[in-house]
Amino acid sequence: KLLCECPPRGIREELSNHSPRSLAVGHCHPDIVKAAHEQNQLLNTNSRYLHDNLVDYAERLSKTLPEKLCIFYFLNSGSEANDLALRLARQYTKHEDVIVLDHAYHGHLTSLIDISPYKFRNLEGQKEWVHVAPVPDTYRGLYREDHEDSVTAYANEVKNIIEQAHKRGRKIAAFFAESLPSVGGQIIPPAGYFQKVAEHVHKAGGVFIADEIQVGFGRVGKHFWAFQLQGEDFVPDIVTMGKPIGNGHPLACVATTKEIAEAFAATGVEYFNTFGGNPVSCAIGLAVLDVIEKEHLQAHATEVGNFLMKLLKEQKIKHPIIGDVRGSGLFIGVDLIKDQAERTPATAEAEHLITRLKEEYILLSTDGPGRNVLKFKPPMCFNKEDAKFVVDTIDKLLTDIEKECLSQEKTSTCST
Amino acid sequence: MFDEKGEKYLDCINNVAHVGHSHPYVIKAATKQMELLNTNSRFLHDNLVQYAQRLTATLPEKLSVCYFVNSGSEANDLALRLARQYHGHQDVITLENAYHGHVTSLIDISPYKFNQLGKDSKKEFVHVAPSPDIYRGKYREDHPDPASAYAEEVKKIIEETQKNGRKIAAFIAESMQSCGGQVIPPVGYFQKVAEYVRAAGGVFIADEVQVGFGRVGKHFWAFQLQGEDFVPDIVTMGKPIGNGHPMSCVVTTREIAESFGASGLEYFNTFGGNPVSCAIGLAVLEVIEKEDLQGNATRVGNYLLELLAEQKEKHPLVGDIRGVGLFVGVDLVKDQQKRTPATAEALHLIYKLKEHQILLSADGPHRNILKFKPPMCFTMEDAKHVVETIDALLTEMEEATGMKTENNASTNAQCKRKVGFEFFFLNSYSDRCLAKQVYITLVEHTFIFGW
Repeated sequence: KLLCECPPRGIREELSNHSPRSLAVGHCHPDIVKAAHEQNQLLNTNSRYLHDNLVDYAERLSKTLPEKLCIFYFLNSGSEANDLALRLARQYTKHEDVIVLDHAYHGHLTSLIDISPYKFRNLEGQKEWVHVAPVPDTYRGLYREDHEDSVTAYANEVKNIIEQAHKRGRKIAAFFAESLPSVGGQIIPPAGYFQKVAEHVHKAGGVFIADEIQVGFGRVGKHFWAFQLQGEDFVPDIVTMGKPIGNGHPLACVATTKEIAEAFAATGVEYFNTFGGNPVSCAIGLAVLDVIEKEHLQAHATEVGNFLMKLLKEQKIKHPIIGDVRGSGLFIGVDLIKDQAERTPATAEAEHLITRLKEEYILLSTDGPGRNVLKFKPPMCFNKEDAKFVVDTIDKLLTDIEKECLSQEKTSTCST
Repeated sequence: MFDEKGEKYLDCINNVAHVGHSHPYVIKAATKQMELLNTNSRFLHDNLVQYAQRLTATLPEKLSVCYFVNSGSEANDLALRLARQYHGHQDVITLENAYHGHVTSLIDISPYKFNQLGKDSKKEFVHVAPSPDIYRGKYREDHPDPASAYAEEVKKIIEETQKNGRKIAAFIAESMQSCGGQVIPPVGYFQKVAEYVRAAGGVFIADEVQVGFGRVGKHFWAFQLQGEDFVPDIVTMGKPIGNGHPMSCVVTTREIAESFGASGLEYFNTFGGNPVSCAIGLAVLEVIEKEDLQGNATRVGNYLLELLAEQKEKHPLVGDIRGVGLFVGVDLVKDQQKRTPATAEALHLIYKLKEHQILLSADGPHRNILKFKPPMCFTMEDAKHVVETIDALLTEMEEATGMKTENNASTNAQCKRKVGFEFFFLNSYSDRCLAKQVYITLVEHTFIFGW
């Protein structure tokens, strides 16, 4: 219904103005369409038929990762990837329990609903083998920007969980976290957190799984993978990737260490995925890596991301509704609040804002447990003009919202 | 298919390339949509609705709600979630040797997989019913009513679980077991099972991931072979649906879908139902129709069965020929009476076939059943060529082992040695691979078969 109401021509103009095809890995990138088309015409079959694309792609991917992450499993969705990561962790450690972050979302499969507080809180509730740690959110979480050492504090929460689990005779298979919790509200964990957590988890015989499904492939600008923001010395045991990996094509991947892969293979149960690693998917994956490199999208993400952050921070000073602006590269969150002291989420205002933005032909969404964080994660060809345009529009709309509030206050309390 | 040297192989197993490898019509549809838009289903798109409409038109009316996902495994996992949400029950009845997918929840209901993990690996909420295999199973072709007998087994399981205070959420079965050995359930089995399962508050899930989309010739869906009066509650489809493109689907009734929605939990799948996948799905349906692939499956399938039946008369190694449309199985046996699976022979045969540029595979719990499920454009000439080659190879094999002799002693001695070999094969997967290599080397260099 909504699609019909918006004049198609208007939207096309917007899209063409704000996602110029010359600057790629954006919608319908021609290099990727071409790679897919060419391979489709040649052969598309399963990985029982050895094909160079599979090896070439695994090799290219491995170059972007620390050396010990050298075994790749190809699948079709982030959910499949995270499920396999769980299986790998459990087989390797012979333990069962999983520690996750609050508000995490790891996928829609049965096994993943079980480890996604974002989902299970509305359903059957928490399973006894799942343990939920506080999100390392230094704006809204337990330990904030004024805490002297939030890294250790948050990591100690995980340590406590491990100790509690051990007291009950339970054993930890994995700590599972999105490198930058997205659904949880565009959270950037403080640097050093993952290292300390990994230390506690490894001591307990568990592994560290970094879910890069939402944030990998250069989005954070400074690095190819978001977990690398934590520091050079941090290497997860398992990394899962999805979403951007094929520019929209159903493709996903799990990277892990030789030891973990060997333990998995030693069960004797063959892992086979019908569509995973097919030549077309691999050709597409390779094309995406090519484009990211050729068009310097990582550096571009840093440049435009920094610019966007700068503009948004100016807005923060201007508009009291903006509580926090956080991000890295083209992964940015704008936390809207009703009051600066309590940081109460401005849920309705955020909802209203994105509805109004769509009327102005800008697509944005909100997330976070309070549905109050504006989520920026545009195609990597997003440019400075786009950034300026969005922020100018947000500025105007926030000003309008504030004016409305003021005029309503004159008559009654502004309840939005 | 062509290898890196350009050598041509006749493909008898890639059911995923349903309408044929690299079909131009399907590729064109994919590219065209990729150039326009490929985004997630939060953005409403006509392709999604059109595809759902076309798909449900092939199914009985009450199966009217589609969930689009990316793989058979995702589809079967969702089917389980739908079944469990419906009445809040947990337990699942599955068949011996079933394989439903590789994600955690599905390994749990796939004896084909969990049996390899050890004898205590079956979970307590999973119940395994005997496979309705009338050649090799509990009740065979000489039984007066195998459909009812096998269904009774399910009834017994339901009664047992209810005694233990457990509740059945679903009975799940591949409409025709493929990994289990190309098993065609006797007509009437599904109806009776559905009756018992529904009486217990469960639902019937028909896994069409391997066999749907006209493969059986007579019907579009394999479950329809059971009879007009049989309608499952949930159907999962995959593999051939996009001719190789990663996509899949679950179709169910309005009641089950509403119950799932009522949980408040939004079901969202990032790639599922994207416009490109839907365009591809639509193109595949169009090709099936335009090229009368269902009709072809019946014609060529019947011809193939005819030719294979002749081979059964001729070769003692061939125990059973079964199939419908282009879903055919050839059960190789060492001994017609005992129906002892001829595992090593089957393996040898498929390796020899590959040398003759024919791709075939073996499956079943004893890996002795030749599996035919070729792309639907398989022709009469292809069928003739394969069977002629198999004939020649079987003759060779039988001559080498002296199987055609009436001399029991020599057959027994050879059986003993073969049993020794098979024990070696049944160790871990990596050992099996090594054993395969050793075996092939021996066969190639000594031409001694079965020692």
